[in-house]
Amino acid sequence: MPEWVHLPDKYMASATPYIACPGCDLLLNKIHSSSGRKLFCPRCETVIYQKKTNSITKVLAISTAGLLIYIPAIFMPLLTIHAMGMKQSGSIFDAFLSFYHQQYYLVTILLFLTSILFPLVRLSILFSVSLQLKIRLYSKSLFFLFRTANYLDEWGMVDVYLIALIVSIIKIHKMATLEFDIGFFCFVFLVFMTRATTSALEPEIFWSALDELKQSSTKTIKQ
Amino acid sequence: MMTASKTIQTAMESGFMACHDCGYLLDANKVPSDVPLGCPRCNANVHFRKHQSISTTWALIIAAAILFVPANLLPIMRVDFLGSSEYSTIMDGVLFFFHSKEYGIGLIIFVASILVPLFKIVGLSIILLSIKFKWKHGLRHKTAMFRFIEFVGRWSMLDIFVIALMATLVEFGSFTATFAAPAASYFAAVVVCTMIAAHTFDSRLLWDA
Repeated sequence: MPEWVHLPDKYMASATPYIACPGCDLLLNKIHSSSGRKLFCPRCETVIYQKKTNSITKVLAISTAGLLIYIPAIFMPLLTIHAMGMKQSGSIFDAFLSFYHQQYYLVTILLFLTSILFPLVRLSILFSVSLQLKIRLYSKSLFFLFRTANYLDEWGMVDVYLIALIVSIIKIHKMATLEFDIGFFCFVFLVFMTRATTSALEPEIFWSALDELKQSSTKTIKQ
Repeated sequence: MMTASKTIQTAMESGFMACHDCGYLLDANKVPSDVPLGCPRCNANVHFRKHQSISTTWALIIAAAILFVPANLLPIMRVDFLGSSEYSTIMDGVLFFFHSKEYGIGLIIFVASILVPLFKIVGLSIILLSIKFKWKHGLRHKTAMFRFIEFVGRWSMLDIFVIALMATLVEFGSFTATFAAPAASYFAAVVVCTMIAAHTFDSRLLWDA
């Protein structure tokens, strides 16, 4: 672990009227955008900021819905397949176990992280961060948690899994009859909620809200 | 469009360090320069550019390119049918769909498992070479290509998920069953290497050259 010096808050006072493009580091003047408009860097065309209304409230609502559906989506059977008088069904969790039983441990770990652990951790973090912002309950770990959630956005792959599920259905339906189970619908809902958190989330709104919460809570302690 | 300052100038040239995690701008002249710094807003490690970005990215791309060979040549899936085993590579899986007239699905698998990893390896190599040799043309296109590489990386996991699902759902004992085969591990390693490579690369270096 690299160690670094945490800069004292006095450096926050050096807040500038500028912003740097994350794609090419071009220094830009901060301007306010009207709702829904995307701001692009004039040099490399990276999206710098997109104003989203009620980002925190929306993320709280959507992540709550996602967490409620998570357990049935992962553990309930997705499909039942009938062939030669036999029946077979399986869930997302069973799919992860199948690689474990076949002793492909590297793939097993990857499957566990991308389809089971990361989607859950990300939703839980977004839930707790947005809830704590709403009820104004400050804790130091919020910054670390929200950074982690941003990294996990790319590594939680339930949306890729849904396309894989559709491909599997097309593969199977030719050789057997299949029946959709409750887990399938829960999983589709989980995928939509996961994608919706991404589209409702504007990191800059969260960062400035977190910063504001930190400032006000440390002030209260001093008084 | 945002407005650029009069002459094109980067944050680094103006003495500002942008936090890679939260975008906060830090005045580098006011902070100690000899110690690693934490962002005053989110406490992530801040620096002008990602450390060792180019060499780390090269290492990961080369590893991915090497692993890509066994991932495509070895079988990735085994289907047992009435006592006989049939092994198939990624390309066999694509051809299976084309033969059964499922062109859309065949194309999705082909793009996700063969084209995308290849595009990521070649694309990142082009970007790294253009930094090395200071090719200044088409920087905007190269940045767009990098953004696309970042976005598309995770979709290569498709085939691994399909095999996991098939192995679970098509399991009828001695009649028919599906299993993973050795290429699955190599292929998963290719995906992880290229995804981390996209993460370690700092696109701002393209514009510094």
